[in-house]
Amino acid sequence: MWSNLTNLIYSAYEQFNYLPLFIEIALAFIFIAIFATLIAYGVILFRRWRGYVDEKRMAFIRPRVEEMITEQVLLNENLEKMQVAEIEFEPAALNDKIYKKEWVRQIIIDILIQYRKNFRGEVGELLRKLYLDMNLTKDSYDKMKSLKWERKIKSVVELTQMDVQISDVTILPLTNSTNPALRAAARNAYIQLSKNEPFKFFDIATEPILPWDQLELFKIITTTKDIAIPNFSRWVSYSTNKSVVSFCLKLIAHYDQQSAIPAVLDLLANKDHYFRADAINCLGKLSAEVAEERLIRIYNTQPLACQLEILKALGRIASGKHLEFLKQEFLYSSNFDIRMNAARSIIKHNTPGSRALIDELKEITHEENRLIISHCQNPLIKY
Amino acid sequence: MKSISHFFSSGTFWDIIGVLYQNMVFVYGTSLLLAYGLLAIMSLISIRRYMKKNGAADINVLVESPLAPGISVIAPAFNESVTIVQNVRSLLTFNYPKFEVIIINDGSTDDTLDKLILEFELEHVDYAFRASLNCMPIQRVFKSTNAAYEKLMVIDKVNGKSKADASNAGINLSSYPYFLCTDVDCILNKDTLLKLIKPFMDEETTKIKEIGHPCEECGFQHIVEDYRRVIASGATLRMVNSCEVDGGLLIRVRPPKKFFPRFQEMEYIRAFVLGKMGWDLINAVPNVSGGLGMFDKEIAVQAGGYDSKSFGEDMDLITRMCGFMKANKRKYAVRYVPETLCWTEGPTTLKVFGRQRSRWARGLAQIMSIHRKILFNPRFGRLGLIVFPYNFFFELLAPLIEFTGILYYIYLIVSGQIMWVYAIILIVFVYTYSVMITTLALLWDQITFKYYKTWGEVIGLCLMAFLEPFLYHPLILFFALKGYFNFVTGRKHVWGNMQRQGFGAQPKKKTEPNPA
Amino acid sequence: MTSILIIEDDDIMLKAIRNILTKAGYNVLTAKDGKEAFDKIDNEQYDIVITDLMMPYANGLEVVSRVRSDSRKRHVSIIVVSSVGNEETITEAFRLGADDYLKKPIMAGELLIRIKKLIESRSHTSAKLVTKKK
Repeated sequence: MWSNLTNLIYSAYEQFNYLPLFIEIALAFIFIAIFATLIAYGVILFRRWRGYVDEKRMAFIRPRVEEMITEQVLLNENLEKMQVAEIEFEPAALNDKIYKKEWVRQIIIDILIQYRKNFRGEVGELLRKLYLDMNLTKDSYDKMKSLKWERKIKSVVELTQMDVQISDVTILPLTNSTNPALRAAARNAYIQLSKNEPFKFFDIATEPILPWDQLELFKIITTTKDIAIPNFSRWVSYSTNKSVVSFCLKLIAHYDQQSAIPAVLDLLANKDHYFRADAINCLGKLSAEVAEERLIRIYNTQPLACQLEILKALGRIASGKHLEFLKQEFLYSSNFDIRMNAARSIIKHNTPGSRALIDELKEITHEENRLIISHCQNPLIKY
Repeated sequence: MKSISHFFSSGTFWDIIGVLYQNMVFVYGTSLLLAYGLLAIMSLISIRRYMKKNGAADINVLVESPLAPGISVIAPAFNESVTIVQNVRSLLTFNYPKFEVIIINDGSTDDTLDKLILEFELEHVDYAFRASLNCMPIQRVFKSTNAAYEKLMVIDKVNGKSKADASNAGINLSSYPYFLCTDVDCILNKDTLLKLIKPFMDEETTKIKEIGHPCEECGFQHIVEDYRRVIASGATLRMVNSCEVDGGLLIRVRPPKKFFPRFQEMEYIRAFVLGKMGWDLINAVPNVSGGLGMFDKEIAVQAGGYDSKSFGEDMDLITRMCGFMKANKRKYAVRYVPETLCWTEGPTTLKVFGRQRSRWARGLAQIMSIHRKILFNPRFGRLGLIVFPYNFFFELLAPLIEFTGILYYIYLIVSGQIMWVYAIILIVFVYTYSVMITTLALLWDQITFKYYKTWGEVIGLCLMAFLEPFLYHPLILFFALKGYFNFVTGRKHVWGNMQRQGFGAQPKKKTEPNPA
Repeated sequence: MTSILIIEDDDIMLKAIRNILTKAGYNVLTAKDGKEAFDKIDNEQYDIVITDLMMPYANGLEVVSRVRSDSRKRHVSIIVVSSVGNEETITEAFRLGADDYLKKPIMAGELLIRIKKLIESRSHTSAKLVTKKK
């Protein structure tokens, strides 16, 4: 029996050897393809099954966790009566056996984070206390030890969301990680959690801050309480990292740091015109009246992007001293965008003088310019 | 002389040709299959990378941020009276802080516009704009008097007989630096804008120029020297045919039940998940589908916008945008998101399906001939050395080679020369391999998201892979050849009679997104 | 008893606010998307609407404008609760007739105080109207 089979295989192999090469290759691939297809089916079914189990487990555990948090935190009787730090949770509610399982603890962390995104103040504090009292910090710290960077990020994000201190020794090396996502998460954590000098990394940042990272940083800087907002002009003057400077320009505008105006003015001499445009934009948002003269002086030597920014800035500053300049640009420029922005900036002044000027312009100008004016005057059109 | 005539008549010559042809086809076929296998591996890597990268990131940061870039959503509508109100309402509910919705009424002959005016309290406004792209005249522009719809703008324009023309009008009037092109009857995910703008904002800078030496010119260290500008991004499309939809919102996703849409669902998944994601890994995405794509407006306008004469205007635009970036020596990337964000209606009848496929084939042929300079041109980098050769050999030539192959097979059978055993082995080889590729695509697709509710639906779709080579594929082959035929004859027609300029853009209702 | 309609697509937030307000002694109605919201706005009785801005079917601004355009709902106060921090959106909400705006994450205590104040000021004005009529 066995010898028959081995004979058969052997003879099949003999014959296989006599086949032309391309048929041999084809046969080999047929086996590979059938094998791979079967495995793919197996994996699909396995994943579906696992997904199904996960869903079931979630459907079971989620309501329980939510109820526990509602009882212990949201509807806590002591919330108005005493300091958050003094509130004690009911031990029975927290010590449910099921809360010892690792996957359940992960779900609790995720749900707590969701709540923290919706609530601050005392409820937010109490959510944090629940996280600490259930010793979920340990779960988060454990992930930091993982070799996978995505687990490390999760750890950093959880700890930051829960406002739990991470030691500088742990977090600082991560801010220089070669993985951009991890680097960004660590940077965010450092700013939010570092008590003494959160903006220190601006000094040492050698890598660019991507626009996406800027979003996150901006959010953290503007929403973290008790963060000391420094004078950002420091980096505008001294940083050699372009992305740091342009990010600082946005922060200066956001915090309306008037004292930064001289530093921003210095950027007008920069050779990179995208950069200059950012600086002009910032000056406009600061309503820097001192900058007006300079902007008009450099206007003619600027590329279009900067010219448009200058026109916008004049509209924002709206001192009324340069209506004549805007009028000239509106009437005589051949560029549509320049006329559009000039008109918009005149209208933005919204003074008796500017309104009179608009009426005058409507009289003397041609059809297309009149259309531009009525476009800009229409409150239904935002841009 | 005698020997030469003998050479021909004895058949030696034809034998040699036959052997040559056989070998060529074998090499071609094998490399095609290898390319597919390679794409499968590349796409797995890039999907996993995407999942890891975005698993940790909280996309909602964008929603809250005042730094979120503005996006113009551009959706042309032609005679969509029945569904227009719901669809526009749905477009206005994106999770995004800063966007506008521009509906282009492309000379509808029904009451599409009236319905919009009534429902959204629209009012005619004087709108000044610069026509940076060519399009048919714009008659009126409407804005809503109700501030709840301030994001909406409706353009009424003369029908330009193509989606490209309408999209160009929308781009002309858009006010934000990015635009999303879609169809008004597509069902879009609420997070579409968030997910498609993200690739523009987190493109990694790979190499960093020597730091520590500020640039002489500007005084700053050029650390973003190797920055690649993302010029477009896209995501997977699926069929909406058998899904449950309520008020422009997807309630339950289901694979289509009807013949054509069902095969198309499978084909789309394969083209997007396997194809586009695979190419994404080496930054060589050939096309962003017309059904859903986000573009950098500055580059799109400089590249000339959509070409209303093109039969494949989406691929044409991407090709020109990439070409533009290369010509200006700037680094660029086109990015793909492996999640399905758009559900579109697939044709259900043979007639409409056939027309669609012939148009795609014609579009491909047109692009290849218009941009033939790019092919094998090292100056165009990946575009000239990877994207175009792949499209040329494995997309454009595939139907032709397959067709001649079939003819040759028939000849061999008729003349009795066929080696049946070998022939069957080869056919089984191609068959099992193609089933494997499709099954892998469906598996990769399930990695990102559990799309269907039951495993029965997934397996049901997988089984289509076994039927495809017999039922669906021959039809695609036929219509592709028909499209090439139209391309060859259609062009002659235009040359022969210049007055019939409209021929280049036959009246068509709209262009379905091409996954290829 | 004061009735409050909460419109919010985030399940956790919806339940949380509902619980807090119920505990504070209000009668609470909920809607989890724009469609349900429109239905309840037209057919239910309520004194205060708390709405999110971004949700399926309709956005919060539409909700505000719908309530404000209904003459029978003059007495209704509207509070917008959203994570959107964009200045234009906030002013737009006020222009359409929202009475208050809270940015997520919110403080539960603050929400309760604001609701209380709105109820007080409304009853003030309506009391005035009543006396005038007399």
